[in-house]
Amino acid sequence: MKVTINKQNEKTLVTLEGRVDSTNAEQFQQDIAPLMEGDGSDIDIDCTGMTYTSSQGLRVFLLLQKSVMAHQGTMVMRNMDSRVKEVFDITGFSNIITIL
Amino acid sequence: MIKKRFNPITDKSSEIIAFLMASPDMPNDPDLRFKIELSVEEAVENVVHYAYEDGIGWLEAGTSLDNESLVLTIELRDAGVPFNPLEKADPDVNLSADQREVGGLGIYLCKKMMDSIEYRYEDGNNVLIMRKIVKN
Repeated sequence: MKVTINKQNEKTLVTLEGRVDSTNAEQFQQDIAPLMEGDGSDIDIDCTGMTYTSSQGLRVFLLLQKSVMAHQGTMVMRNMDSRVKEVFDITGFSNIITIL
Repeated sequence: MIKKRFNPITDKSSEIIAFLMASPDMPNDPDLRFKIELSVEEAVENVVHYAYEDGIGWLEAGTSLDNESLVLTIELRDAGVPFNPLEKADPDVNLSADQREVGGLGIYLCKKMMDSIEYRYEDGNNVLIMRKIVKN
């Protein structure tokens, strides 16, 4: 998974490209660690290029959402692939993460 | 059944998943492949990480396809600690982010993505069988 983070004042733009699975979920968690520093910013994630996530990826997204809420920030995920979206729907993650 | 035994399986998840997904029994349809790959990953990871207390042991992975019913069968077999993953309670997917616990979604995803999943303990082996109708 390629992670690009672009901080602009109070808004943080993130793009995700590729897949997150058991082989790279740990690296993915490290890559998004800057988003969990808790500056309360608004995180906007473009998922156009994200093609796959397993439960290992979901684990990281839940950690991120919990961190964002704990720091009174917001987070949205956009342009999610329909197959990936189904994974978020089935697991109830669509109810706890804002997907636009 | 097309099958292969991997031994030892430490750090072999990717290789085992790739073997199964490369089987000629697998469908070409991307939506079906996505669901099957996800289920395969979750099930294989479960064995690789939890089946053997010392982490060293074998896993036999196989596929078969019934050409009439178009039912794809994926079978995983290991000689690890007896463990029925289907006995684990499903996560409550209606909880809020605060209440949700991290993890525990793997087998639940298998159950949802496949058409059927069964477990048996046979001759000292854990056997997990997942089925999916692969009619496009």
